[in-house]
Amino acid sequence: MSTTLYVERVSPVHRLNPVTKLVALLCLLVVVFAIAQWWVGVGVLLLVIVPAAVASGCGGVLAGFALRLLLPVLAMLVLVQGLTYPGGQTVLWEWGPLALTTEGLLFAATIGARLACLVCASVLLVLTTHPGELMSALTEKGLSPKFSYIISSTLQLIPSFRDRADSILLAQQARGLAVPRNPLRRLGVLMPLLGPLVLGMFTDVEERSTAMEARGFGSTARRTSLVPVPDTTAQRVARWVMPALAAVAIVAPFVWGSR
Amino acid sequence: MTDQGFVVLDDVTYAYPDADRPVLHGVRLEIAAGSITGVVGASGAGKTTLAKLISGFIPQVDGGDLTGTVSVGGRDLAELSLVEAVGQVGLVIQNPFNQISGAKYTVREEIAFGLENVGTPRAEMAKRVDDVARLLRITDLLDRSPYALSGGQMQLVAIASMLVLRTPVLVMDEPTSQLDPAGTRLVFDVLNTLEEAGLTVIVFEHKQELLQAYADRLLVLAGGRIVADGDPTTVLADDHTEEWGIGATRFTRAARIARDRGLLNGGVLPVSFEQAVETFGGPR
Repeated sequence: MSTTLYVERVSPVHRLNPVTKLVALLCLLVVVFAIAQWWVGVGVLLLVIVPAAVASGCGGVLAGFALRLLLPVLAMLVLVQGLTYPGGQTVLWEWGPLALTTEGLLFAATIGARLACLVCASVLLVLTTHPGELMSALTEKGLSPKFSYIISSTLQLIPSFRDRADSILLAQQARGLAVPRNPLRRLGVLMPLLGPLVLGMFTDVEERSTAMEARGFGSTARRTSLVPVPDTTAQRVARWVMPALAAVAIVAPFVWGSR
Repeated sequence: MTDQGFVVLDDVTYAYPDADRPVLHGVRLEIAAGSITGVVGASGAGKTTLAKLISGFIPQVDGGDLTGTVSVGGRDLAELSLVEAVGQVGLVIQNPFNQISGAKYTVREEIAFGLENVGTPRAEMAKRVDDVARLLRITDLLDRSPYALSGGQMQLVAIASMLVLRTPVLVMDEPTSQLDPAGTRLVFDVLNTLEEAGLTVIVFEHKQELLQAYADRLLVLAGGRIVADGDPTTVLADDHTEEWGIGATRFTRAARIARDRGLLNGGVLPVSFEQAVETFGGPR
Protein backbone atom coordinates (compact mmCIF):
# COMPACT_ATOMS: atom_id res chain seq x y z
CA MET A 1 0.00 0.00 0.00
CA SER A 2 1.39 3.39 -0.96
CA THR A 3 0.69 6.37 1.24
CA THR A 4 1.77 9.00 -1.21
CA LEU A 5 0.31 10.35 -4.43
CA TYR A 6 3.81 10.48 -5.87
CA VAL A 7 4.07 8.98 -9.36
CA GLU A 8 7.50 7.57 -10.16
CA ARG A 9 8.69 8.76 -13.57
CA VAL A 10 11.97 9.81 -15.16
CA SER A 11 11.26 13.35 -16.29
CA PRO A 12 12.80 16.83 -16.19
CA VAL A 13 10.07 17.92 -13.77
CA HIS A 14 10.80 15.02 -11.41
CA ARG A 15 14.51 15.85 -11.54
CA LEU A 16 14.00 19.45 -10.41
CA ASN A 17 14.97 20.28 -6.85
CA PRO A 18 11.74 20.20 -4.77
CA VAL A 19 12.43 23.69 -3.45
CA THR A 20 12.58 25.01 -7.03
CA LYS A 21 9.17 23.45 -7.68
CA LEU A 22 7.79 24.84 -4.44
CA VAL A 23 9.06 28.37 -5.23
CA ALA A 24 7.62 28.12 -8.76
CA LEU A 25 4.27 27.02 -7.36
CA LEU A 26 4.14 29.90 -4.86
CA CYS A 27 5.19 32.47 -7.47
CA LEU A 28 2.58 31.28 -9.96
CA LEU A 29 -0.15 31.37 -7.35
CA VAL A 30 0.85 34.84 -6.15
CA VAL A 31 0.70 36.16 -9.73
CA VAL A 32 -2.60 34.45 -10.53
CA PHE A 33 -4.28 35.63 -7.34
CA ALA A 34 -2.80 39.15 -7.40
CA ILE A 35 -3.81 40.01 -10.97
CA ALA A 36 -7.59 39.90 -11.29
CA GLN A 37 -7.75 39.04 -14.99
CA TRP A 38 -9.19 35.76 -16.25
CA TRP A 39 -6.54 35.47 -18.97
CA VAL A 40 -3.70 35.44 -16.44
CA GLY A 41 -4.96 32.24 -14.85
CA VAL A 42 -5.80 30.67 -18.21
CA GLY A 43 -2.37 31.70 -19.56
CA VAL A 44 -0.52 30.18 -16.59
CA LEU A 45 -2.59 27.03 -16.90
CA LEU A 46 -2.03 26.60 -20.64
CA LEU A 47 1.53 27.89 -20.94
CA VAL A 48 3.11 26.61 -17.72
CA ILE A 49 1.11 23.96 -15.88
CA VAL A 50 -0.14 21.88 -18.82
CA PRO A 51 3.28 21.70 -20.57
CA ALA A 52 4.92 20.84 -17.23
CA ALA A 53 2.33 18.11 -16.63
CA VAL A 54 2.91 16.68 -20.11
CA ALA A 55 6.69 16.84 -19.69
CA SER A 56 6.42 15.05 -16.33
CA GLY A 57 4.46 12.17 -17.80
CA CYS A 58 1.74 12.77 -15.20
CA GLY A 59 -0.68 14.60 -17.51
CA GLY A 60 -3.30 11.84 -17.45
CA VAL A 61 -3.20 11.41 -13.66
CA LEU A 62 -3.38 15.18 -13.16
CA ALA A 63 -6.31 15.49 -15.61
CA GLY A 64 -8.18 12.80 -13.68
CA PHE A 65 -7.64 14.58 -10.35
CA ALA A 66 -8.45 17.99 -11.80
CA LEU A 67 -11.68 16.83 -13.44
CA ARG A 68 -12.93 15.15 -10.27
CA LEU A 69 -12.03 18.07 -8.03
CA LEU A 70 -12.77 21.02 -10.28
CA LEU A 71 -15.67 20.13 -12.55
CA PRO A 72 -18.45 20.43 -9.93
CA VAL A 73 -16.94 23.66 -8.55
CA LEU A 74 -16.50 25.25 -11.97
CA ALA A 75 -20.03 24.29 -13.04
CA MET A 76 -21.39 25.86 -9.87
CA LEU A 77 -19.29 29.00 -10.39
CA VAL A 78 -20.56 29.53 -13.94
CA LEU A 79 -24.15 29.01 -12.86
CA VAL A 80 -24.06 31.18 -9.75
CA GLN A 81 -21.76 34.01 -10.93
CA GLY A 82 -22.94 33.95 -14.54
CA LEU A 83 -26.59 34.25 -13.59
CA THR A 84 -26.49 36.38 -10.43
CA TYR A 85 -23.40 38.62 -10.75
CA PRO A 86 -24.51 41.96 -9.25
CA GLY A 87 -22.55 44.21 -11.65
CA GLY A 88 -23.75 42.43 -14.81
CA GLN A 89 -24.66 44.84 -17.65
CA THR A 90 -24.26 42.89 -20.89
CA VAL A 91 -27.08 40.36 -20.91
CA LEU A 92 -26.47 37.33 -23.12
CA TRP A 93 -29.57 35.38 -22.11
CA GLU A 94 -32.47 36.08 -19.77
CA TRP A 95 -35.15 34.04 -18.08
CA GLY A 96 -37.34 35.68 -15.46
CA PRO A 97 -35.15 37.21 -12.73
CA LEU A 98 -32.11 35.29 -13.96
CA ALA A 99 -29.80 36.93 -16.48
CA LEU A 100 -26.61 35.43 -17.89
CA THR A 101 -24.19 38.35 -18.25
CA THR A 102 -20.76 38.72 -19.87
CA GLU A 103 -19.39 40.34 -16.69
CA GLY A 104 -20.67 37.44 -14.58
CA LEU A 105 -19.09 34.90 -16.90
CA LEU A 106 -15.78 36.79 -16.89
CA PHE A 107 -15.82 36.94 -13.09
CA ALA A 108 -16.56 33.19 -12.97
CA ALA A 109 -13.72 32.61 -15.46
CA THR A 110 -11.27 34.60 -13.28
CA ILE A 111 -12.17 32.73 -10.10
CA GLY A 112 -12.33 29.41 -11.96
CA ALA A 113 -8.91 29.93 -13.58
CA ARG A 114 -7.40 30.78 -10.19
CA LEU A 115 -8.88 27.67 -8.62
CA ALA A 116 -7.74 25.55 -11.56
CA CYS A 117 -4.20 26.91 -11.21
CA LEU A 118 -4.19 26.34 -7.46
CA VAL A 119 -5.44 22.76 -7.71
CA CYS A 120 -3.47 21.71 -10.80
CA ALA A 121 -0.15 23.23 -9.74
CA SER A 122 -0.41 21.83 -6.20
CA VAL A 123 -1.40 18.35 -7.36
CA LEU A 124 1.38 18.40 -9.98
CA LEU A 125 3.89 19.21 -7.24
CA VAL A 126 2.63 16.29 -5.17
CA LEU A 127 2.62 13.91 -8.16
CA THR A 128 6.18 14.74 -9.13
CA THR A 129 7.85 15.22 -5.73
CA HIS A 130 8.49 12.42 -3.28
CA PRO A 131 7.69 13.61 0.27
CA GLY A 132 11.08 12.43 1.46
CA GLU A 133 12.92 14.42 -1.15
CA LEU A 134 10.84 17.48 -0.31
CA MET A 135 11.64 17.02 3.37
CA SER A 136 15.37 16.59 2.74
CA ALA A 137 15.45 19.60 0.41
CA LEU A 138 13.61 21.85 2.85
CA THR A 139 15.82 20.71 5.72
CA GLU A 140 18.94 21.34 3.63
CA LYS A 141 17.69 24.88 3.07
CA GLY A 142 17.58 25.40 6.82
CA LEU A 143 13.89 24.77 7.51
CA SER A 144 13.14 23.05 10.82
CA PRO A 145 13.00 19.27 10.23
CA LYS A 146 9.78 19.13 12.23
CA PHE A 147 8.17 21.75 10.01
CA SER A 148 9.33 20.10 6.82
CA TYR A 149 8.12 16.72 8.12
CA ILE A 150 4.69 18.23 8.76
CA ILE A 151 4.58 19.44 5.15
CA SER A 152 5.80 16.19 3.64
CA SER A 153 3.69 13.94 5.86
CA THR A 154 0.57 16.01 5.17
CA LEU A 155 1.03 15.17 1.50
CA GLN A 156 0.76 11.50 2.33
CA LEU A 157 -2.17 11.90 4.71
CA ILE A 158 -4.78 11.94 1.95
CA PRO A 159 -4.33 8.37 0.63
CA SER A 160 -3.87 7.04 4.17
CA PHE A 161 -7.09 8.79 5.24
CA ARG A 162 -8.93 7.41 2.19
CA ASP A 163 -7.74 3.83 2.86
CA ARG A 164 -8.91 3.97 6.46
CA ALA A 165 -12.25 5.54 5.47
CA ASP A 166 -12.78 2.76 2.91
CA SER A 167 -12.07 0.09 5.55
CA ILE A 168 -14.51 1.64 8.03
CA LEU A 169 -17.20 1.99 5.36
CA LEU A 170 -16.68 -1.59 4.22
CA ALA A 171 -16.96 -2.84 7.81
CA GLN A 172 -20.21 -0.94 8.30
CA GLN A 173 -21.62 -2.11 4.97
CA ALA A 174 -20.82 -5.69 5.97
CA ARG A 175 -23.05 -5.05 9.00
CA GLY A 176 -25.94 -3.93 6.82
CA LEU A 177 -25.32 -0.20 6.37
CA ALA A 178 -26.97 0.92 3.12
CA VAL A 179 -25.32 3.89 1.44
CA PRO A 180 -27.96 5.83 -0.56
CA ARG A 181 -27.19 7.42 -3.94
CA ASN A 182 -28.68 10.78 -2.96
CA PRO A 183 -25.69 12.93 -1.90
CA LEU A 184 -27.47 14.59 1.04
CA ARG A 185 -28.83 11.34 2.46
CA ARG A 186 -25.44 9.73 1.76
CA LEU A 187 -23.77 12.49 3.80
CA GLY A 188 -26.21 11.88 6.67
CA VAL A 189 -25.42 8.16 6.69
CA LEU A 190 -21.66 8.67 6.49
CA MET A 191 -21.39 11.35 9.22
CA PRO A 192 -21.36 8.85 12.13
CA LEU A 193 -18.36 7.12 10.51
CA LEU A 194 -16.25 10.22 11.11
CA GLY A 195 -15.79 9.35 14.80
CA PRO A 196 -13.91 6.06 14.28
CA LEU A 197 -12.08 7.57 11.33
CA VAL A 198 -10.69 10.51 13.31
CA LEU A 199 -9.99 8.42 16.43
CA GLY A 200 -8.13 5.85 14.34
CA MET A 201 -6.04 8.58 12.76
CA PHE A 202 -5.16 9.95 16.20
CA THR A 203 -3.97 6.50 17.30
CA ASP A 204 -1.86 6.20 14.16
CA VAL A 205 -0.36 9.65 14.69
CA GLU A 206 0.53 8.87 18.30
CA GLU A 207 2.15 5.56 17.35
CA ARG A 208 4.02 7.13 14.47
CA SER A 209 5.20 9.95 16.72
CA THR A 210 6.62 7.40 19.20
CA ALA A 211 8.39 5.59 16.35
CA MET A 212 9.84 8.87 15.08
CA GLU A 213 11.10 9.90 18.53
CA ALA A 214 12.68 6.46 18.93
CA ARG A 215 14.70 7.25 15.81
CA GLY A 216 16.12 10.46 17.21
CA PHE A 217 13.69 12.82 15.49
CA GLY A 218 13.80 15.13 18.50
CA SER A 219 17.56 15.51 18.22
CA THR A 220 18.90 19.03 17.88
CA ALA A 221 21.98 17.89 15.96
CA ARG A 222 22.44 19.32 12.49
CA ARG A 223 20.74 16.89 10.07
CA THR A 224 22.71 15.05 7.45
CA SER A 225 21.35 13.30 4.39
CA LEU A 226 22.22 9.88 2.98
CA VAL A 227 21.25 10.87 -0.55
CA PRO A 228 21.90 14.49 -1.48
CA VAL A 229 19.01 16.24 -3.22
CA PRO A 230 20.16 17.27 -6.71
CA ASP A 231 20.53 20.99 -7.28
CA THR A 232 22.13 23.12 -10.00
CA THR A 233 23.38 26.68 -10.28
CA ALA A 234 20.65 27.39 -12.84
CA GLN A 235 18.00 26.32 -10.33
CA ARG A 236 19.58 28.33 -7.54
CA VAL A 237 19.43 31.40 -9.81
CA ALA A 238 15.87 30.54 -10.89
CA ARG A 239 14.75 30.48 -7.27
CA TRP A 240 15.76 34.14 -6.96
CA VAL A 241 14.58 35.18 -10.42
CA MET A 242 11.08 33.70 -10.14
CA PRO A 243 9.98 35.76 -7.11
CA ALA A 244 11.49 38.86 -8.74
CA LEU A 245 9.53 38.23 -11.95
CA ALA A 246 6.38 37.59 -9.92
CA ALA A 247 6.89 40.91 -8.13
CA VAL A 248 7.38 42.68 -11.47
CA ALA A 249 4.24 41.05 -12.89
CA ILE A 250 2.22 42.31 -9.93
CA VAL A 251 3.69 45.82 -9.79
CA ALA A 252 3.94 46.49 -13.54
CA PRO A 253 0.20 47.05 -14.17
CA PHE A 254 0.14 49.70 -11.43
CA VAL A 255 3.22 51.46 -12.88
CA TRP A 256 1.93 51.37 -16.46
CA GLY A 257 -1.60 52.17 -15.33
CA SER A 258 -0.45 55.35 -13.55
CA ARG A 259 1.20 56.79 -16.67
CA MET B 1 26.81 -2.50 37.11
CA THR B 2 27.15 -6.21 36.33
CA ASP B 3 26.36 -8.11 33.16
CA GLN B 4 23.40 -9.60 35.02
CA GLY B 5 22.10 -6.11 35.70
CA PHE B 6 22.49 -4.30 32.41
CA VAL B 7 18.83 -3.24 32.40
CA VAL B 8 17.68 -2.70 35.97
CA LEU B 9 14.24 -1.77 37.27
CA ASP B 10 14.36 -1.09 40.97
CA ASP B 11 10.99 -1.10 42.74
CA VAL B 12 9.23 0.67 39.88
CA THR B 13 5.65 1.82 40.33
CA TYR B 14 4.02 3.89 37.63
CA ALA B 15 0.63 5.54 37.08
CA TYR B 16 -0.45 7.43 33.96
CA PRO B 17 -1.48 11.07 34.43
CA ASP B 18 -4.95 11.39 35.99
CA ALA B 19 -5.17 7.63 36.52
CA ASP B 20 -6.60 6.56 39.88
CA ARG B 21 -4.28 3.55 40.23
CA PRO B 22 -0.84 2.49 39.00
CA VAL B 23 -0.35 0.33 35.94
CA LEU B 24 2.88 -1.15 37.28
CA HIS B 25 3.44 -2.06 40.92
CA GLY B 26 6.83 -2.51 42.58
CA VAL B 27 8.54 -4.05 39.56
CA ARG B 28 12.05 -5.33 40.33
CA LEU B 29 14.02 -6.70 37.45
CA GLU B 30 17.59 -7.28 36.29
CA ILE B 31 18.27 -8.24 32.71
CA ALA B 32 21.64 -9.54 31.57
CA ALA B 33 23.53 -7.98 28.68
CA GLY B 34 23.40 -9.94 25.43
CA SER B 35 20.34 -11.98 26.36
CA ILE B 36 16.85 -12.42 24.92
CA THR B 37 14.15 -11.86 27.50
CA GLY B 38 10.52 -12.55 26.66
CA VAL B 39 7.64 -10.83 28.45
CA VAL B 40 4.12 -12.26 28.28
CA GLY B 41 0.93 -11.02 29.84
CA ALA B 42 -2.77 -10.60 29.16
CA SER B 43 -4.05 -7.43 27.49
CA GLY B 44 -3.97 -4.63 30.04
CA ALA B 45 -1.29 -6.35 32.14
CA GLY B 46 1.06 -3.41 31.58
CA LYS B 47 3.28 -4.78 28.79
CA THR B 48 3.28 -1.68 26.59
CA THR B 49 3.77 0.53 29.66
CA LEU B 50 6.78 -1.55 30.70
CA ALA B 51 8.15 -1.42 27.14
CA LYS B 52 7.83 2.39 27.06
CA LEU B 53 9.35 2.66 30.53
CA ILE B 54 12.45 0.65 29.58
CA SER B 55 12.84 2.64 26.35
CA GLY B 56 12.65 6.01 28.11
CA PHE B 57 9.28 7.23 26.79
CA ILE B 58 7.86 7.06 30.28
CA PRO B 59 7.87 9.45 31.99
CA GLN B 60 9.63 11.80 29.48
CA VAL B 61 6.79 11.76 26.94
CA ASP B 62 3.76 10.31 28.70
CA GLY B 63 4.28 12.04 32.06
CA GLY B 64 2.60 10.40 35.04
CA ASP B 65 3.88 9.38 38.46
CA LEU B 66 6.97 7.20 38.55
CA THR B 67 8.68 5.93 41.66
CA GLY B 68 11.76 3.72 41.67
CA THR B 69 14.47 3.81 39.03
CA VAL B 70 15.03 2.40 35.55
CA SER B 71 18.64 2.21 34.46
CA VAL B 72 20.37 0.95 31.35
CA GLY B 73 24.10 0.30 31.34
CA GLY B 74 24.32 2.00 34.73
CA ARG B 75 22.62 5.22 33.57
CA ASP B 76 19.36 6.26 35.18
CA LEU B 77 16.91 6.94 32.32
CA ALA B 78 15.09 9.59 34.37
CA GLU B 79 18.26 11.71 34.28
CA LEU B 80 18.56 11.50 30.50
CA SER B 81 16.72 13.50 27.87
CA LEU B 82 14.52 11.51 25.51
CA VAL B 83 17.11 11.83 22.74
CA GLU B 84 19.80 10.44 25.09
CA ALA B 85 17.48 7.66 26.27
CA VAL B 86 16.63 6.51 22.74
CA GLY B 87 20.37 6.42 22.13
CA GLN B 88 20.51 3.67 24.78
CA VAL B 89 17.38 1.69 23.98
CA GLY B 90 15.77 1.08 20.60
CA LEU B 91 12.01 0.52 20.41
CA VAL B 92 10.17 -1.50 17.78
CA ILE B 93 6.40 -1.04 18.01
CA GLN B 94 3.48 -3.25 17.01
CA ASN B 95 2.40 -1.82 13.69
CA PRO B 96 5.23 -1.97 11.14
CA PHE B 97 3.34 0.41 8.88
CA ASN B 98 3.42 3.18 11.48
CA GLN B 99 7.17 2.79 11.94
CA ILE B 100 7.90 3.74 8.38
CA SER B 101 8.67 7.46 8.37
CA GLY B 102 6.69 8.07 5.19
CA ALA B 103 9.37 10.52 4.21
CA LYS B 104 11.77 8.21 2.42
CA TYR B 105 11.83 6.81 -1.06
CA THR B 106 13.82 3.58 -0.58
CA VAL B 107 14.45 1.10 2.21
CA ARG B 108 18.09 2.25 2.24
CA GLU B 109 17.06 5.84 3.00
CA GLU B 110 14.41 4.65 5.46
CA ILE B 111 16.99 2.72 7.48
CA ALA B 112 19.28 5.76 7.45
CA PHE B 113 16.54 8.13 8.67
CA GLY B 114 17.52 7.86 12.36
CA LEU B 115 21.19 8.40 11.53
CA GLU B 116 20.29 11.51 9.52
CA ASN B 117 18.40 12.83 12.53
CA VAL B 118 21.45 12.60 14.76
CA GLY B 119 23.76 14.09 12.14
CA THR B 120 25.86 11.05 11.18
CA PRO B 121 28.30 11.75 8.32
CA ARG B 122 27.19 10.36 4.93
CA ALA B 123 30.00 7.80 4.49
CA GLU B 124 29.46 6.40 8.00
CA MET B 125 25.70 6.22 7.36
CA ALA B 126 26.15 4.28 4.13
CA LYS B 127 28.47 1.81 5.84
CA ARG B 128 26.18 1.24 8.79
CA VAL B 129 23.12 0.75 6.54
CA ASP B 130 24.97 -1.85 4.47
CA ASP B 131 26.24 -3.61 7.62
CA VAL B 132 22.82 -3.87 9.20
CA ALA B 133 21.19 -4.96 5.92
CA ARG B 134 23.75 -7.77 5.64
CA LEU B 135 23.20 -8.75 9.28
CA LEU B 136 19.43 -9.04 8.78
CA ARG B 137 19.81 -10.46 5.24
CA ILE B 138 17.72 -7.75 3.64
CA THR B 139 20.25 -6.36 1.15
CA ASP B 140 17.88 -7.29 -1.69
CA LEU B 141 15.27 -4.91 -0.25
CA LEU B 142 17.50 -1.84 -0.02
CA ASP B 143 16.46 -0.22 -3.28
CA ARG B 144 12.75 -1.00 -2.95
CA SER B 145 10.07 1.34 -1.69
CA PRO B 146 9.35 0.80 2.03
CA TYR B 147 5.67 0.60 1.12
CA ALA B 148 6.17 -2.19 -1.41
CA LEU B 149 7.12 -4.71 1.31
CA SER B 150 5.20 -7.46 3.07
CA GLY B 151 4.37 -6.93 6.75
CA GLY B 152 7.25 -9.18 7.83
CA GLN B 153 9.74 -7.42 5.57
CA MET B 154 8.46 -4.04 6.80
CA GLN B 155 9.02 -5.15 10.40
CA LEU B 156 12.57 -6.27 9.52
CA VAL B 157 13.17 -2.81 8.05
CA ALA B 158 11.83 -1.30 11.28
CA ILE B 159 14.24 -3.48 13.27
CA ALA B 160 17.09 -2.51 10.92
CA SER B 161 16.17 1.16 11.43
CA MET B 162 16.75 0.66 15.14
CA LEU B 163 19.85 -1.54 14.89
CA VAL B 164 21.57 1.00 12.70
CA LEU B 165 21.52 3.39 15.68
CA ARG B 166 23.61 0.83 17.59
CA THR B 167 21.72 1.03 20.85
CA PRO B 168 22.86 -1.68 23.26
CA VAL B 169 19.26 -2.63 24.09
CA LEU B 170 16.35 -3.35 21.76
CA VAL B 171 12.77 -3.45 23.06
CA MET B 172 10.20 -5.05 20.79
CA ASP B 173 6.58 -4.44 21.72
CA GLU B 174 4.48 -7.20 20.14
CA PRO B 175 6.45 -6.99 16.91
CA THR B 176 4.52 -9.80 15.24
CA SER B 177 0.97 -8.98 16.35
CA GLN B 178 0.03 -7.78 12.87
CA LEU B 179 2.04 -10.28 10.86
CA ASP B 180 1.13 -13.56 9.19
CA PRO B 181 2.96 -16.79 10.21
CA ALA B 182 5.66 -16.30 7.55
CA GLY B 183 6.30 -12.71 8.67
CA THR B 184 6.33 -13.81 12.31
CA ARG B 185 8.94 -16.49 11.59
CA LEU B 186 11.01 -13.93 9.68
CA VAL B 187 11.12 -11.60 12.70
CA PHE B 188 11.81 -14.33 15.26
CA ASP B 189 14.60 -15.81 13.15
CA VAL B 190 16.36 -12.46 13.46
CA LEU B 191 16.40 -12.68 17.27
CA ASN B 192 19.26 -15.18 17.34
CA THR B 193 21.26 -12.97 14.99
CA LEU B 194 20.73 -10.03 17.34
CA GLU B 195 21.80 -12.07 20.35
CA GLU B 196 24.93 -13.19 18.51
CA ALA B 197 25.64 -9.54 17.74
CA GLY B 198 25.69 -8.91 21.50
CA LEU B 199 22.41 -7.04 21.78
CA THR B 200 20.17 -7.19 24.82
CA VAL B 201 16.71 -7.91 23.44
CA ILE B 202 13.44 -7.65 25.37
CA VAL B 203 10.45 -9.01 23.44
CA PHE B 204 6.87 -8.41 24.56
CA GLU B 205 4.82 -11.11 22.85
CA HIS B 206 1.80 -13.40 23.03
CA LYS B 207 3.20 -16.21 20.89
CA GLN B 208 4.33 -18.62 23.58
CA GLU B 209 5.73 -21.40 21.40
CA LEU B 210 8.06 -18.95 19.69
CA LEU B 211 9.14 -17.37 22.98
CA GLN B 212 9.86 -20.84 24.32
CA ALA B 213 12.06 -21.50 21.30
CA TYR B 214 13.93 -18.19 21.16
CA ALA B 215 14.00 -16.53 24.60
CA ASP B 216 16.65 -17.23 27.24
CA ARG B 217 14.33 -16.13 29.98
CA LEU B 218 10.61 -15.43 30.34
CA LEU B 219 8.74 -13.00 32.55
CA VAL B 220 4.99 -13.03 33.14
CA LEU B 221 3.28 -9.75 33.82
CA ALA B 222 -0.16 -9.81 35.44
CA GLY B 223 -1.98 -6.86 36.97
CA GLY B 224 1.14 -4.72 36.66
CA ARG B 225 3.33 -7.13 38.64
CA ILE B 226 5.89 -9.69 37.60
CA VAL B 227 4.31 -12.94 38.77
CA ALA B 228 6.71 -15.43 37.18
CA ASP B 229 10.29 -15.28 36.00
CA GLY B 230 12.50 -18.06 34.75
CA ASP B 231 13.32 -20.53 32.03
CA PRO B 232 10.63 -20.20 29.29
CA THR B 233 9.56 -23.84 29.30
CA THR B 234 9.25 -23.98 33.09
CA VAL B 235 7.25 -20.74 33.19
CA LEU B 236 4.92 -21.63 30.31
CA ALA B 237 4.27 -25.14 31.60
CA ASP B 238 3.36 -23.84 35.07
CA ASP B 239 -0.11 -24.77 36.29
CA HIS B 240 -0.89 -21.12 37.07
CA THR B 241 -0.75 -19.83 33.47
CA GLU B 242 -4.58 -19.61 33.23
CA GLU B 243 -4.66 -17.68 36.50
CA TRP B 244 -2.02 -15.26 35.12
CA GLY B 245 -4.22 -14.70 32.07
CA ILE B 246 -1.76 -16.02 29.49
CA GLY B 247 -3.35 -19.41 28.82
CA ALA B 248 -1.23 -22.32 27.67
CA THR B 249 -0.20 -23.84 24.37
CA ARG B 250 -2.31 -26.73 23.02
CA PHE B 251 0.57 -29.10 23.82
CA THR B 252 0.66 -28.02 27.47
CA ARG B 253 -3.13 -28.29 27.72
CA ALA B 254 -3.07 -31.78 26.21
CA ALA B 255 -0.29 -32.80 28.57
CA ARG B 256 -2.23 -31.49 31.58
CA ILE B 257 -5.22 -33.63 30.59
CA ALA B 258 -2.94 -36.63 30.12
CA ARG B 259 -1.34 -36.01 33.52
CA ASP B 260 -4.73 -35.59 35.24
CA ARG B 261 -5.80 -38.94 33.76
CA GLY B 262 -2.64 -40.56 35.03
CA LEU B 263 -1.14 -41.05 31.59
CA LEU B 264 1.89 -38.90 32.36
CA ASN B 265 4.21 -38.92 35.30
CA GLY B 266 5.71 -35.80 36.87
CA GLY B 267 8.20 -33.48 35.25
CA VAL B 268 7.92 -30.30 33.21
CA LEU B 269 5.02 -30.38 30.76
CA PRO B 270 5.71 -29.76 27.06
CA VAL B 271 5.16 -26.33 25.54
CA SER B 272 6.13 -26.92 21.93
CA PHE B 273 5.46 -29.61 19.35
CA GLU B 274 9.00 -30.97 19.64
CA GLN B 275 8.73 -31.21 23.44
CA ALA B 276 5.31 -32.87 23.13
CA VAL B 277 6.73 -35.50 20.78
CA GLU B 278 9.48 -36.16 23.29
CA THR B 279 7.10 -36.25 26.27
CA PHE B 280 4.59 -38.59 24.65
CA GLY B 281 7.25 -40.91 23.28
CA GLY B 282 7.32 -39.85 19.66
CA PRO B 283 5.41 -41.19 16.67
CA ARG B 284 5.25 -44.99 16.45
